[in-house]
Amino acid sequence: MQTIQLNNVRKSYDTFVAVDNISFAIEQGTVFGLLGPNGAGKTSTIRMMIGITQPDSGEIHVFGKPFERKSLERIGYLPEERGLYKKMKVLDQLVFLAELHGMGRADATAKAREWCKRLEIAEKLDNKVEELSKGMQQKIQFIAALLHDPDFVIMDEPFFGLDPVNAGLLKDVLLDLKKQGKTILFSTHRMDQVEKLCDSICLINRGRAVLQGSLSQVKSKFGKNNVQIEYVGDDNFLRETQLVGSYNNYGNYVEVRLAPGADSQELLRAVASRSRVNKFELMEPSLEEIFKEVVGKTDA
Amino acid sequence: MRSMFLIARREYLERIRTKAFLIMTILIPAIMGGSLFLPALFMKKTQSGAKHLVVVASDRHIGDVIAQQINRDRQDNPREKEGPSMRRGAAAAPESWNIDVDTNASDANRSILSLKVQAKVLDGVVWATVENLATKKVPFITRNVSSLEEIYDVQRSISRALQRNTLATKGLSESDIEAFQKPVDLSAVTPDGKPAGNGTSTIFTAIFQIMVLYMSVLLYGVNVMNAVLEEKNSRVMEVVLSTVEPKFLMAGKILGVGAVGLTQIAIWVALGLFYSGSAVMGSGLDLKSIINIRSIIFFVVFYLLGYLLYSAMYAAVGAMCNSQQEAQQLSQLVTLPMVVPLFLIGYIVQYPGAPLSIAVSMFPLTAPLTMYARIVLQMPPWYELAASIGLLVATIYGVVLLCGKIYRVGILMYGKKPTLPEIVKWVKYA
Repeated sequence: MQTIQLNNVRKSYDTFVAVDNISFAIEQGTVFGLLGPNGAGKTSTIRMMIGITQPDSGEIHVFGKPFERKSLERIGYLPEERGLYKKMKVLDQLVFLAELHGMGRADATAKAREWCKRLEIAEKLDNKVEELSKGMQQKIQFIAALLHDPDFVIMDEPFFGLDPVNAGLLKDVLLDLKKQGKTILFSTHRMDQVEKLCDSICLINRGRAVLQGSLSQVKSKFGKNNVQIEYVGDDNFLRETQLVGSYNNYGNYVEVRLAPGADSQELLRAVASRSRVNKFELMEPSLEEIFKEVVGKTDA
Repeated sequence: MRSMFLIARREYLERIRTKAFLIMTILIPAIMGGSLFLPALFMKKTQSGAKHLVVVASDRHIGDVIAQQINRDRQDNPREKEGPSMRRGAAAAPESWNIDVDTNASDANRSILSLKVQAKVLDGVVWATVENLATKKVPFITRNVSSLEEIYDVQRSISRALQRNTLATKGLSESDIEAFQKPVDLSAVTPDGKPAGNGTSTIFTAIFQIMVLYMSVLLYGVNVMNAVLEEKNSRVMEVVLSTVEPKFLMAGKILGVGAVGLTQIAIWVALGLFYSGSAVMGSGLDLKSIINIRSIIFFVVFYLLGYLLYSAMYAAVGAMCNSQQEAQQLSQLVTLPMVVPLFLIGYIVQYPGAPLSIAVSMFPLTAPLTMYARIVLQMPPWYELAASIGLLVATIYGVVLLCGKIYRVGILMYGKKPTLPEIVKWVKYA
């Protein structure tokens, strides 16, 4: 079953088209990445999915039915712009937000305590939000999105500003949710995170979907025409434009994207003739590179 | 709907627990009472003290008559006798003034006496020479040229002294003159036959209540604006909006904050009932006349109507802006019509039935304060009351609708402050 489905959704503000005929669907129990540079239309798309704004045209189906506000009780949302009532106590705040999602008071209180224990902030339940560190506030916001046990979780830049330990903690929670059959949508411009977590993606730029499909589909589409080379010596081969389409020099090694029609063996010979080659590996392009290439192309 | 009550409950509980609520509950009546009392107390101090006057008269006899008359009139002055007075505070027998008579009407003496007034050795000099009295133009040298009341009193006493003198020369006896000059005691009675009670005290308590009403509407209206700004600034808005419709969020906020105001009024009424037996601060503030069913009911009605009208506008202002600084200018624009009645209050309390008073009590933006003022002073005809409330309710409906649209779009807009054409656009596409 599809948790959410967007059909030719469009939204414009005055003359600016924020979302331009975007369509995608997310299968239940999968992790979906909504990717794009800043200002691409990710947040505008999400806002329509949760009824904060209405699309100018197109349809949104949630849990197999046309969008209705009742569905919002089964959706959890972590917005990119984090926000909590600063003067409110942590427990009161979590219970309040859960009640807004239709939960009962007692149930919400018990669940809030459970979650805070799990995310290691149980001792802060009676503190005001403004007294907590930024990382802790993040965790509370994270709990607020999940407390009412939503079937569909929308996370806008969930790991932003978290240290690796806490990011790991949250990632485990999300993977656990996936195991329970929940659907998760990630919105981010951090490709490295998505690669580890997502089953499928939709890349949007300037309001348009420029690339979508399962992660393996997307990657295979771009083929194994990337080469990672570790070498000592002269780097003139990088300027052989018939062979090298583009490259990223990381210092210790260089990642080369082959020019269209170029043969990797020819490149190897070119490198070997002038420098010592320690490693020469054909590989799939990283999502980041795909992202850069696609976005660069559509911007041009 | 459930979400609206949840929002209202949160707003109410979070506010009622704060120290600010407690402080405001005490401070509003204290400030309003104080701003009326302190000047009164101060005036009393400066005015009731004995003054030292000199009456310069080429004819010593007429000088004596004037001097006596001034002090006699001070004892008889209805303003002085009336007791609780807005201007002079509590009733106390006015002290006699120390009045000398001087027959030296030379220019040299005039300069000397003027200098003494300046040096505060004397408080005033009446220059009542025969010629001046004949032309009925008498100079009065005083430092307080702006104290109209005092000047008027002295002027009246001189006129009466002249009358007395003339009547005496016509052969009337002292007691006849006394009877002739005795002022009429006018006691005001309302059309329904009740004694009007103490006039100045009624005005005083009316102004006090209107100021408290003004403060309540303003305070809680601005509170709504700040609540919207807080949600916008802390970006908690987005989380809340992911389940709550904007109209319920706005309505819940207005209800919750409004209920805090009602709670505050209830506390005031309770305290008022508790203290109404004792004379508060030994003053002109007549608590018994405030704490009656009619004033309480209408106070609550006009608080609610005024608050609904203004809080909706403040909510829209909050939604349009990104910071308190930005909101300040716009909110002043909203506050402006509420301040107008305060400028007119002096007129309204004197002429509650005048066309201007009726007009401002019909105009919805000024109606909450001015109609309440009229009710306290003199119950207006029922059709005027009905028209005022009807217009107000209709306006509230329109304003809430309009502000709701601005709110809906505004709360999601960050960045620069919208221009007027942009706001018009919001209203259209919301």
